[in-house]
Amino acid sequence: MTAIDSLDTFPKILLERSKSSAKKPAMREKDLGIWQTWTWQEAFQEIKAFACGLSAMGLSPGDKLIIVGDNRPRLYWAMSATQCVGGIPVPTYQDAVAQEMAYVVDHSDAIVAVVEDQEQVDKLLEIQQSCPQLKTIIYDDARGMDDYDLPHVMSFESVQEKGRELLSQNADFFETTIDQGKGADEAIMLYTSGTTGKPKGVMLTYDNMVITARNGCKLENLTENEETLAYLPMAWVGDHLFSYAQSYIAGFCVSCPESPATVPHDLREIGPTYYFAPPRVFENLLTSVTIRMQDAAPVKQKVFKYFMDVAKNIGVRILEDKPVSLKERLLYKLGDILVYGPLKNTLGMSRVRIAYTAGEAIGPEIFEFYRSLGINIKQIYGQTEASIFVTVQPDDQVRSDTVGIAAPDVEITIADNGEVLYRSPGVFKSYYKNEESTKSTKNDEGWVYTGDAGFFTDDGHLRIIDRAKDVGKFSNGKLFAPKYIENKLKFFPHIREAVCFGNSRDTCTAFINIDMEAVGVWAEKQNIPYASYQELAAKEQVYQLVQDSIEQVNRDLTDDSMLSHSQIFRFLILHKELDADDGELTRTRKVRRPFIAERYGVLIDALYDGKSQCFIETEVSFEDGRTGAISADLHIQDVKTYSLEEGKTAA
Amino acid sequence: MSTTRNFSDVLLKVDNVHLSFGGVKALTNVNFNIMKGEIRAIIGPNGAGKSSMLNVINGFYHPQQGTITYKGVARSQMKPHQAAVQGIARTFQNIALFKGMSTLDNIMTGRLLKMKSGLLSQAFYWGKYEKEETQHRHKVEEIIDFLEIQSIRKTPVGRLPYGLQKRVELGRALAAEPELLLLDEPMAGMNVEEKEDMSRFIIETNDQLGTTIALIEHDMGVVMDLSDRVVVLDYGRQLADGTPDAVRGNQAVIDAYLGVTE
Amino acid sequence: MQVERSVYTTIGAMALLMTFLPWLAGQFSEDVYFEWPFFVEVAIGGLLSGVMYSLVALGFVLIFKASGVFNFAQGAMVLFAALSFVGLKDLGVPLWLCVILTAAIMAAVAVVIERVVLRPLVNQEPIILFMVTIGIAYILDGFGQILWGAEVRILDIGLPDEPSFFFDGKILINQFDIFAALIAAALVAALVVFFQYTRIGRALRAVADDHQAAMSVGIPLQHIWVVVWTVAGLVALVAGVMWGSKLGVQFSLALIALKALPVLILGGFTSIPGAIIGGLIVGAGEKISEVFLGPLVGGGIEDWFAYMLALVFLVFRPQGLFGEKIIERV
Repeated sequence: MTAIDSLDTFPKILLERSKSSAKKPAMREKDLGIWQTWTWQEAFQEIKAFACGLSAMGLSPGDKLIIVGDNRPRLYWAMSATQCVGGIPVPTYQDAVAQEMAYVVDHSDAIVAVVEDQEQVDKLLEIQQSCPQLKTIIYDDARGMDDYDLPHVMSFESVQEKGRELLSQNADFFETTIDQGKGADEAIMLYTSGTTGKPKGVMLTYDNMVITARNGCKLENLTENEETLAYLPMAWVGDHLFSYAQSYIAGFCVSCPESPATVPHDLREIGPTYYFAPPRVFENLLTSVTIRMQDAAPVKQKVFKYFMDVAKNIGVRILEDKPVSLKERLLYKLGDILVYGPLKNTLGMSRVRIAYTAGEAIGPEIFEFYRSLGINIKQIYGQTEASIFVTVQPDDQVRSDTVGIAAPDVEITIADNGEVLYRSPGVFKSYYKNEESTKSTKNDEGWVYTGDAGFFTDDGHLRIIDRAKDVGKFSNGKLFAPKYIENKLKFFPHIREAVCFGNSRDTCTAFINIDMEAVGVWAEKQNIPYASYQELAAKEQVYQLVQDSIEQVNRDLTDDSMLSHSQIFRFLILHKELDADDGELTRTRKVRRPFIAERYGVLIDALYDGKSQCFIETEVSFEDGRTGAISADLHIQDVKTYSLEEGKTAA
Repeated sequence: MSTTRNFSDVLLKVDNVHLSFGGVKALTNVNFNIMKGEIRAIIGPNGAGKSSMLNVINGFYHPQQGTITYKGVARSQMKPHQAAVQGIARTFQNIALFKGMSTLDNIMTGRLLKMKSGLLSQAFYWGKYEKEETQHRHKVEEIIDFLEIQSIRKTPVGRLPYGLQKRVELGRALAAEPELLLLDEPMAGMNVEEKEDMSRFIIETNDQLGTTIALIEHDMGVVMDLSDRVVVLDYGRQLADGTPDAVRGNQAVIDAYLGVTE
Repeated sequence: MQVERSVYTTIGAMALLMTFLPWLAGQFSEDVYFEWPFFVEVAIGGLLSGVMYSLVALGFVLIFKASGVFNFAQGAMVLFAALSFVGLKDLGVPLWLCVILTAAIMAAVAVVIERVVLRPLVNQEPIILFMVTIGIAYILDGFGQILWGAEVRILDIGLPDEPSFFFDGKILINQFDIFAALIAAALVAALVVFFQYTRIGRALRAVADDHQAAMSVGIPLQHIWVVVWTVAGLVALVAGVMWGSKLGVQFSLALIALKALPVLILGGFTSIPGAIIGGLIVGAGEKISEVFLGPLVGGGIEDWFAYMLALVFLVFRPQGLFGEKIIERV
């Protein structure tokens, strides 16, 4: 156990690092084309001067300080400096529009703002009109600031200057102030975007962050030799944990990119060992690789395809230490020289030891791609309210459809309605100035409601299936997660929309919309004539096509005892496409379940009373605004379902 | 520019310049001056002789008549290389970058004149050369930072989109640390956002480096916002010369624009 | 550098054809002796003499790129350099000094050409400049022979000239050719470093890319021309010494410039890799055709093969393998 393991606040850890890791690199930034490095000692001096400057300007313990900008060393130092003098940093999303930012500035009661450049200064000057409590604006980059002759707008250096003056009179000031900090103090406030309503300010204490970061470091064996690139927003809890908290705990160096546009290039130069990106980033990278390969010479394409197949077969097994024959190992090695190595290098992932992804579900094929290259990409499930970590995937149990097992010291339980609850040392203290939300999110025993529905699979991994409010129950009390099943159905190219029913009923049934284009092409190949969607949808062969897909889904569902009850028993193909103009979908193409249930009540009844035909007449609005009615006699089809054992053998 | 700025020194003066190609008169009796530190615009409809004027100043064209007085020295003509040595840098309407070379190399060529050791002495003093090269590289990096083009540092400019190429070309001109910067339609073919960026760079160059700028532009709105004074040419003749406001109200200018261009 | 895929395809197809046709000839004709080791030997010998063509073509490309002048005098420069070199050597000057002195002479020639010919003719039509280079060629030929005499001279620079055997004596290669190829490779490497990593190289690339822009950033074109002609002179020196030690220094050296022409058409007038690959193809192609296809048509292929190939290229790919696409603006 080192000295650092017993310290309870980041300022204290910083003080210790400035001594024990004095000469080791703490931060790097590319400036004028050259990587500049600051050691822990140098960073400490910068922070110290700035912190004292803040104090000299009247920032007292408990005061909030807004941080706006891209990942810059000085902004991280401002964060640290604020903590050193007892203040609470509030990093915000720098691309937020003025109105959103104004809300955060106002709600957080921040009295100081530290911003990156002129653009942000302008934004905050505008905000200041309506937030008079904001007294001072400090900028990092002086470019274009010459003409601002405002007493309350000042440069980072000038604040440090003030701090050095203070230090010349009171040399111990800084260390004494740091000593007064406690683990239970509020360390940082992070605003969650929140899908509904106003953003909420999550207050996290030093204990929250320090213990969570420490657990994470221990779990993944992070050392001071890791390399990371801080390129995700500073306001995101992930960046705060990975690029700030864990850097302090483990002592590794954090590099800041030259500009957002140079991130791919900087990644290649830094070669991070510890890397995090939302699924979208991994997806975009893969797409660009695919596009580049399409332009390559045919021979190259063949080699690439061959070795990617080899990787799919062997790579994951090597990564997970499973048995691999010598021949396979050699083949993989050859692929590494020809394909994987250069590819990983262009992606900037040659040295990645641990890559995290979180935030939303990642496509299985994307996940497989990176893992087969030997990149240890893992999913985590977390929330700002948990100081991020709720679950992590252990190295040898990584899947694309689950989010892993509880992170160290985290307890997880599933509520009756399927909602995931957790309790951990990282659980937030409260929402700032929002007692009501705090109470409704965190109960008296410290359990936090995630709002997500999920369950533990048979091998003990958590699987998130839906938002909790969308999940219902069958009449026997088993979990019914319509969106989960619908997404599985929509994975087939010829199914465009699916609406599943089952809440308070004994079985699951479905409405299907076929994909006019995909099925149309298929029908032409099969020589099936049709004139309209309605006609195509009613064809026996199309019903057979859809039925095959649904049976496939049913088989998949038997993989999990929790979901096997959700197999679809009967379905019908709707005579018209669900349409936002008719109010059946939202403008973002989400199914409006209650509306559909009401409008097509007859059909739902027919699905459950065993009839094989049902007549329906529906009012529709045409593109030119007129309305009309279409009617149809819809066929209802039974589908084969599987028992648990059958599903296994059939699959 | 909302406020009128005052300048006291004349940097360049064009007197009674006539230029013709065969029988075609490109410029007839053009007279104006450029003050040190100002942003000067030359505008006019297509074929008004704007580019010809710029080419005369920078020595590509040699006028048949008239003088150009630059920094107090009157000349009847100048050579491009001389103009560059005298601190005149320019960009081109149709972008004249070295397409096969990287952004960095392109901007580095702009430093050639600033390099003390001559082209040939390099072979003999390698160490000194390397040190100097590093200093120039630093200067070029400042320009790259200034123009926010870090991400394309190593990209061959031929592969860059139009707007970025224009930026690189400006960078190459800035690398020469010119006293007079000639910009030939710096915003041509750009979208609104790119135009805003370019305007910002032009103003900052003028503001922070004190560079005198003469620019040709088609986009009247941009010109009026940017420049201190405007010369208007039409069919090689000088129609007006004055502040943007004065020029905007000039009847001859209004007629020329309504009559000739889109 | 971006290279179109069709370039690789074309080169590959030519290589295949040059292998397949000799084999076919060997199968069906009594007159043709075809064995794989022998074929490889011929091919390598051809490639190595192709290196020599490349060297000469390189001189053309350098000047054409930088000044747009098609320098007909490149062959004469080769001869002139070789004559000066052998002349100095016969005077008893040590070899290393011969190299330096001849290099200096070539630089002086470059300065004179720029002063006397190029500067007064700046901005003239390319055809006029081309005619001028023909004049320069005659002057250099004549002047060189007046200065150093017109008889054939033997040049021995001490490179071993013995056959080496590889693969149990199945393949025979002349050591001189190998050394010549190595020296040529070193020269090309040096040129690449010069162009890519020095300030003057950067200026040269700039001029080659866009004359007008180069002038506007203050690159003095005259200096660049001197440099380019000097470099072309040095390339001529290497080519002259190599060819000279192989064939003897004589007037016919000037004529190898004529072989460089098809090489340029093959490779493209503006491309350094084009000159190298073009030279290799022509060298290997003519040797292989002569040995394996010659007996079928009665020999002499070597004399016209290169021009025939160039003709085919002019019809199907006028810009050459690596040249810039020729787009006529109407």
